[in-house]
Amino acid sequence: MEEGMRIPKFEYFRPSLIEDASSLLYKYKPEAKLLAGGTDLFVKMKKKQVLPRVVISLKGIHKLDKIEWDDKEGFKIGPLVTHEALVNHPMIREKFDFLSDACFKIGTRQVRNMGTLVGNLCNASPSSDASAPLLVLEAKLKLVHLYGERIIPLQEFFIGPFQTVLDPQEIVVEVQIPKLAPRTAGSYQYLHKASCVGETLVGAAVLLTMDPKGSTCQEARIGLSSVSSTPIRARAAERILKGKRLEEKIINEAAQVASDETQPRSRPWYRREMSRVLVERAILQAMEKIR
Amino acid sequence: MKKQLIELRVNGESCELAVEPQQTLLEVLREDLGLTGAKEACGTGECGACTVLIDGKPILSCLTLAIEAQGKEITTIEGLAKAGELHPLQKAFIQYGAIQCGYCTSGMILNAKSILDENPKPSRDEILKGLEGNLCRCTGYNKIIEAVMAASTGKD
Repeated sequence: MEEGMRIPKFEYFRPSLIEDASSLLYKYKPEAKLLAGGTDLFVKMKKKQVLPRVVISLKGIHKLDKIEWDDKEGFKIGPLVTHEALVNHPMIREKFDFLSDACFKIGTRQVRNMGTLVGNLCNASPSSDASAPLLVLEAKLKLVHLYGERIIPLQEFFIGPFQTVLDPQEIVVEVQIPKLAPRTAGSYQYLHKASCVGETLVGAAVLLTMDPKGSTCQEARIGLSSVSSTPIRARAAERILKGKRLEEKIINEAAQVASDETQPRSRPWYRREMSRVLVERAILQAMEKIR
Repeated sequence: MKKQLIELRVNGESCELAVEPQQTLLEVLREDLGLTGAKEACGTGECGACTVLIDGKPILSCLTLAIEAQGKEITTIEGLAKAGELHPLQKAFIQYGAIQCGYCTSGMILNAKSILDENPKPSRDEILKGLEGNLCRCTGYNKIIEAVMAASTGKD
């Protein structure tokens, strides 16, 4: 094998407690990287874009690969949960089918078996598929470090392309997804580039809650990926839908406003047009699911 | 970096070997164990030529550390034939001419095996979606899909 395709050398640690992983991070930051699925980290290391002296594997830590459900608090997803595990999880398929749709879109079968949801969020690609559904689900992340922890909304996690607020000594130990209100459903619609890995060109997630009569929209959330420097919420478009009967004119108007809220840097015209089309489709599909 | 002694279970047999942490499973399979069925092409997880099964699931051995494959059941293409008898997928690939240069074949067959193990009667679309991470530069996809369909229905 040619040298270029090899992973550069590093010192390897495999702690069995999260506290030990935190201590190692504290000791070696910023020369250390955490390892979960490895599908982003090792590609970057092979391309010499990231050259950590120390790699700390999370795989020896008990229970980090668990998806837990609590009737009050909803889902808690550990940092070793793979996309494939989310695709196949019966309760996620049932209650959050549009999140499993987005996870099924990610990478390939092999990548989904290796790559983790948390790793994908930490990579902070503007085109991350799971981000749009998680934004409309108002997911939160639990971050721990040696001396404490904090919980932040996913919305505040991303600060730029491939940039997050995560401190080099913090570990994302949980994605928290609150349970859904009654009469609520979501949809994820996307278009991808015609390349071997099919990177998402536009991803649109919509979550709707209807009133008990099913005529008026009580809550509307719209999330978009790959159309700004980070995944975004289209708040102005959401306000157009809230409290309204979802008739064609209102839906078209909201989709247009959502498209106006995007700031795509490349292929802007096409991405804006497709944002409008996909938001409209996602609204219609979410309405269909609630019926 | 110091080498560490690890134990791998490959195709039902255990073996002990010394590896450095940055060595991938693909490097160890090919260079230390002489199992050259898994191939390296892109090295970045896009082509699927390095696919092997870990605990029955297809993964990319070029992005997996050998040291992290300990305690798991690794299956390579060399482990599919039993007692000199080819696996039905291997027979179907020959029968349907689904092999041209052969570089993608081991990954294709192992991924196809995991698809059929999960769902013995997949639709054509399910096979297409399942094999999306295995690229064939000879573009023999139709014959590959036909071979997997034939293996799934058990017809020759």
